[in-house]
Amino acid sequence: MLKQRGIRAVVAAALPAIAVLLAGTLARADDKALYEAAKKEGQVNWYTGLIQNQVVRPVVAGFEKKYPGVKVNVTGGRQTELNLKILTEGKAGKLQADLTEGTTVVETLKPAGLIVPYKPEGWDKLPAQYKDPNGYWTAVVLYFLVPAINTEMVKPGEEPKTLEDLLDPKWKGKMAWTAEMTIGGPPGFIAAVLKEKGEEKGKEYLKKLAAQQIKTVPSNPRVVLDQVIAGQYPIALITYNHHSVISANKGAPVKWLKIEPVVGGMAMSVLLKGPHPNAAKLLIDYLVSPEGAEVIRKANYIPSNPSVPAIDPTLKPEVGKFKVVTPSPEEIEKNVDKWIAIYKELFQ
Amino acid sequence: MTDLVSETDGAAARLPRLRSTGSWRGTGLNAWLAPAGVIAVLALLIVPPILVLAHTSAVTEGTGAEAGHFTLEHFRSIFDNPRLYVSAWHSLQFSALSTMLSIVFGGLLAWVVVRTNAPFGPLAYITAVVSLGTPYILHVAAWTFLLGRTGPFNEAWRDLTGSSGVLLDVYSMWGMVLIQGMLWSPLVFLLMSAVFRRANAEMEEAARMCGASIAQTVWKISFKLAWPAITGMALFVFIRNLESFDVPVLIGGPAKIYVLTTDIYLAMTEMPPKMGHATAFSLILIAIVSVALVFYSRFARHADRYASVTGKGFRPRPFDLGKWRWLGGAVVIANFVFVLLLPLLATLWISLMPFARPIRLSALKLLTLENYHIVLSDPRYLELAFNTIVVAAGAATAAMVLALLAGWLVVRRWPGGRVIDQLINIPIVFPGIVVGVALLILSLRVPFPLYGTLAVIMLAFVIRFLPYGMRYAHSGVMQIHRELEEAAGVAGAGQMLILRRIVLPLLVPALLSGWLFIFLIGANELSMSVLLAGPQTQVMAVAMLDQWSSGQSVEVFALGMCWSVFMTVCALVFYALARRTLAGAGEGGL
Repeated sequence: MLKQRGIRAVVAAALPAIAVLLAGTLARADDKALYEAAKKEGQVNWYTGLIQNQVVRPVVAGFEKKYPGVKVNVTGGRQTELNLKILTEGKAGKLQADLTEGTTVVETLKPAGLIVPYKPEGWDKLPAQYKDPNGYWTAVVLYFLVPAINTEMVKPGEEPKTLEDLLDPKWKGKMAWTAEMTIGGPPGFIAAVLKEKGEEKGKEYLKKLAAQQIKTVPSNPRVVLDQVIAGQYPIALITYNHHSVISANKGAPVKWLKIEPVVGGMAMSVLLKGPHPNAAKLLIDYLVSPEGAEVIRKANYIPSNPSVPAIDPTLKPEVGKFKVVTPSPEEIEKNVDKWIAIYKELFQ
Repeated sequence: MTDLVSETDGAAARLPRLRSTGSWRGTGLNAWLAPAGVIAVLALLIVPPILVLAHTSAVTEGTGAEAGHFTLEHFRSIFDNPRLYVSAWHSLQFSALSTMLSIVFGGLLAWVVVRTNAPFGPLAYITAVVSLGTPYILHVAAWTFLLGRTGPFNEAWRDLTGSSGVLLDVYSMWGMVLIQGMLWSPLVFLLMSAVFRRANAEMEEAARMCGASIAQTVWKISFKLAWPAITGMALFVFIRNLESFDVPVLIGGPAKIYVLTTDIYLAMTEMPPKMGHATAFSLILIAIVSVALVFYSRFARHADRYASVTGKGFRPRPFDLGKWRWLGGAVVIANFVFVLLLPLLATLWISLMPFARPIRLSALKLLTLENYHIVLSDPRYLELAFNTIVVAAGAATAAMVLALLAGWLVVRRWPGGRVIDQLINIPIVFPGIVVGVALLILSLRVPFPLYGTLAVIMLAFVIRFLPYGMRYAHSGVMQIHRELEEAAGVAGAGQMLILRRIVLPLLVPALLSGWLFIFLIGANELSMSVLLAGPQTQVMAVAMLDQWSSGQSVEVFALGMCWSVFMTVCALVFYALARRTLAGAGEGGL
C-alpha cells in the first residue's frame, strides 16, 4: 500500500516533468515543421516601424542565421503609412505584408479582416495584459508614457509628484506635449486620467489642466523631450520613459517622473493574411523569444518577454513599482474618438 | 512647306486673332496632334489622383462595414469649423506675407546677382542649392532652435538685460512667416534668375542713357519686364503656402495660431489617417486655384508685350551699379547668412552634441564626433543615397521634358493650351499623401509589376513636381518673342525643328534651373516616398524620419549634414557640366 502510494507519488511527481519533456520535443517538432514550411516559402515580408539600424537589422541577422533559407524583406516607415499601405494592399486583394507590429495596428487592421490569429511559442508564459486571449496580437515591445523634466530648470524639491502637482500655477505655460492623436499622445493621457479619476472628476481635472496652457508641439514625443532637454520648456507631459534614460546616460539634464497612472502602450505584433504565413509565424516566434527580446533590449527598447529585463530594470512597472493604465485595442477602438473630442474641446 | 505657309496665311487673314500665334503652325489635325499627345500624358498622370481625391473626400472612413458610403460630412466639417473665419484669416495673412517675403527677397537677390555687377554672385547660387539640398525638417528645427527660448539671440538678450523672458518668440505669426519665407526664397531666386538672365539689357541701357536713375531703371524696366513671371510665381508660391501643412503647424501650433490646414494636420496624425477631411480641403483648393489660373492666363495672354528676347540681337549685359555695388554685395551676403549660414551653423552645432544643448561656452566640452561616426560607418546609407539620386534625377528629367512641351504649347496658345495649363498646375494642391495613395492603388492594380519599385516613386515625384517644372518652362518661353519662331517657320522649319533649334537652346538655362530644383526637392521628399518605398527601394528621407522619430534625434542632424554636403557636391558637378555644355553651345553663363 505504502509502496504503491510511493510509486504513485513518484509517477505524480514525474508526470509534469515528462509532460514538459514531451511538450518540449513536440514544440521542437512543431518548430521544425514550421521551419520546413517556411523554407518552402523562402522569404517573409516584414512591415515594421521599429528603428532600422538598432533593432530591425540585428533581428534580421539573428533570424536569418538561425533559420537559413528564409529571407526577411523589410519595409520600414512610420506606422501611419505602413497601416495605410497594408489596408490598400488588402483592399486590392494583393496583400504583400506578412506581419507587422505597432501600437495601433490591431484596431486598424482587425476590422478590415486582415489579421490571422496566432499564438507564438512561449505565448502562455506572457502576462495576460501583453496578449490577446484569441491570439490576434502579442506584445513585442512595451512603452510607458510619463512626464519628464529638465533637471536644470526644475529643482529636486519642486518636482511634481502627482497629477494634482501639475496644476500648480508656477507651471502655467511651462509644459508641453506632443500633438500625436494616438495613445502615445494627448488621447492616451486623457484616457488614463478618465480611468483613474472617473469620467466626471477626470473631465474636471482636465479642464483645470487646460487652464495651465499646455503647449502642443506638433511632433512626436521624442522631439518634445528634446525641446525639454534643450531648455525650451521645463516639463514634457507625455514622453517614453526609456528615452529619458537613454539621454540621461549621455549626460543630458533630464529625468522622467513617476506620476501615476502611467500610460502603457505596446508594439503588438500581428500575423497578416500575406503570402508567406509560415515564415511570418517563425519570425513572430523569434521576436517574442528570449533571443529576440535580447536584441530589443540592446536597442534600448523595453521587451515584453518577462524573462528579459529592460536596460534599466526600473523602466518596467514590476521593478520600478508604478501603476500603469494600458488601454486595450478594443477600448481604443471604442473610445479614441471621444478622447480626441475632449482634446479638441479643452486643449486646442 | 511654302504651300502650307501661304495657305495658312490666307486662313489667318480671315481669323485675325489666330494670326498672331498660329499662322505658320499648320491647321487641322497637325495643329492638334502635339497638344493632344501632351494632354493625354498629363491626364494619365493627373486624373487618377484627382479621382482618388474625389472618392476619398466623399465617402465615410474606417475599415469596417461603416466605411465607403457616400457622405458630404467632410466638406460640411470644414465649413462647420467654428474657427473657420479666424483660421482663414490666419491662412491668408500667413500665405500673403510669406509669399511677399520670398518674392521680394528672392527676386531682389536674383536681379542683383544676374543683372548687375555686384560682387559675390556665385555665393547666391551656392546658398540656394545647399539650402534646397537640406531636408526642410532640419531647416525648421534649426530655426526654432536659433530663435527659440534657448537660442543664441534670446540667451544673449537674457545675459544683457538680466531678464528671464525672451526677446523673440519664434512661435508666432512673424516666426511662421520668416521661416516659410526663407524656405521658399531659394525657389524664387532660382526661377527669377532664370528670368532675368533672359532679359534683354538693351532697354535698361536705353533707360540709363535717357537719364533714368538706377532705382527708376530697376523699377520701371527690370521689374516691369519680369512682371508676368513675378505674378505667376507669386500666385504659385501663395497657393503653395496656403496648402502647406508643416511650417504653419509646427511653428503656429504651440502658439495656438490655427490656420486652415491645422485641423487637417491633426486628422492626418490619427490612426489610420483621416484622409476625408484633407482631401475635401484639397478639392476646395483645386477649385480656387482653377479660378485663379483662369484670371492669370487672361493676364498672361498679353504677355507678349513683355518678351524681350527678340530677333534684334540679344546681349544680356550686366548693369553697372556704380557706387552702389557694395549694397548689391550686401544683399548677397545677407541672403547667405540668413538662408544658409545660420541654420547650417545651428545644424552643425546640434550634430556635434551628444544631445540637444544651447550654444554656450560651457557646452564646448561636450563636443563629439560620435554622431558622424555612427552615420558614416553605416554602409546602408550608400544604397539609400543611390536610390534617392536615381529617383530624383529620373523624376526631374521626365518632369522637365513634359514641362518644356507644355510650357511652349501653353504660351504659344496652341489649341488645347488652356486645358494643358489647368491640368499641369493642379498638382500644386495635392497633398503628398494623396498622390502616394493614388499611386499605391494604381500600382497594385496594373497588370505589370510596378508596386514597390523605384519607378512608382519616380512617377509620384513627376506628378507632384510638374507644376514647379512648368513655372520654370512657362516663364522661360514667355520671354522669347514669337518672332524668332515665326521667322524660322517662314524660313521653312517644321514645328519639331523650331522647338529643337530655337526654343530649346534659348530655354536651356530655365530648364536646367528647373531640373536642379526638382532634383533637390525630390531628393528630400518624404510623404510620398515613405508610402511607396518597397523593401529594396528605400530612400534617404525615409531613413532620416526613422531616426528623427525614434530617439536618435541628434544623429539625424549629423546625417542631414552629410546629406547636404553630398547633395551640394552633386549640384556642383551638375553646375560644372551644365556650364561646359552651355559654353560649348556658345552660351554665356548659367
